[in-house]
Amino acid sequence: MDVVKVRQLVRYHAKEIGLGIVDQTRITTAASELFRNMFLYAEGGDVLMDAGIYNDHKAFIITCIDRGPGIEDIEMAMKDGYSTGDGMGYGLPGSKRLVDDFYIESTVNQGTTVRIMKWI
Amino acid sequence: MNIKNAKKRIDNIEDVLATVAAGDLEARIQSDIEDDFSGIEAAIDLLIDDLTDELKNRKKIQNELEEKLKKIQEQQKTIVQQQEDLMELSSPVTKVWDNILILPVIGTLDSQRTQIMMENLLHKIVETGCTISILDITGVPTVDTQVANHLLKTVSSARLLGAECIISGISPAIAQTIVHLGIDLSSIKTKATLQDAMIYAMKQKERVAPGHKSDLLYLDDEVE
Ligand SMILES: Nc1ncnc2c1ncn2[C@@H]1O[C@H](COP(=O)(O)OP(=O)(O)O)[C@@H](O)[C@H]1O
Ligand SMILES: [Mg+2]
Repeated sequence: MDVVKVRQLVRYHAKEIGLGIVDQTRITTAASELFRNMFLYAEGGDVLMDAGIYNDHKAFIITCIDRGPGIEDIEMAMKDGYSTGDGMGYGLPGSKRLVDDFYIESTVNQGTTVRIMKWI
Repeated sequence: MNIKNAKKRIDNIEDVLATVAAGDLEARIQSDIEDDFSGIEAAIDLLIDDLTDELKNRKKIQNELEEKLKKIQEQQKTIVQQQEDLMELSSPVTKVWDNILILPVIGTLDSQRTQIMMENLLHKIVETGCTISILDITGVPTVDTQVANHLLKTVSSARLLGAECIISGISPAIAQTIVHLGIDLSSIKTKATLQDAMIYAMKQKERVAPGHKSDLLYLDDEVE
């Protein structure tokens, strides 16, 4: 699996599910950030795409699960401009701003799970 | 039990087996003596026959597999070559007017393509001495932080070479997305469409070289 292919898949499903062009672009870009992180920091992982009801909202849900090194300080990682690599450090906080619901969970040496949702 | 020349015949069997083991599959015992022992000799010869057939078969399959592998490798080489060609093709840098370069980017900007694209553009800037370049990303569906970073780097490299780089073709959806990501593109001159960028570039040219009026008239002709 590569970033480009999964991203195309996200856009395809976002469109199918009825999201407008702006929301399609937002969720695809947010997901792209998470995929890149998985490849960059965790040597890949699993992606789940789903539609469901969350807190009375119909939602398009994408969950990224990896078994990489995990994030030591999530609060830091969520700050604009913070990167342990040579990235811009806007991936996680930017992704959060692009979606309606953002959930991150990480355990050092076990892995990271990030779930994003866009209301339909 | 009746065995003639027992010692000699057992030595012979050992010799034949050793020869076969060393790789010579032609060796056989071929005894013409008929007695209690000749059944074993014949059986060993048959075993060597079977072994020979088996080995020949395996060799054949191996050859076929190697042939197939070679073909696949060649096909792969062709595919890689085609991909490279495609990458070059899809980032053609064109000198439109005297001082203006246009680089239309189509498709997905992965790291490798961005690298080639950037090199193409910088080369062309040096080669032509153009001072304005337009990077049109109308055909790029997703701009995430990595792509944005590449764009920023391309623009600053062009700047180092003395060329201003304008980015055009950022759709409203992508513009909003970039803002939400939190990336600051304010250091880059951006225009909504390639046409806007062209108009801006021509004005820049006028400003930079006010003496070259004839050039501009020529440009206006071209625009019509
Ligand atoms: N899946 C992950 N596994 C481990 N670490 C991660 C993961 N995703 C993000 N990180 C950490 O969080 C930091 C911030 O990520 P991000 O906001 O995407 O910025 P960038 O990727 O540009 O560094 C990264 O530098 C990295 O240290
Ligand atoms: Mg990132």
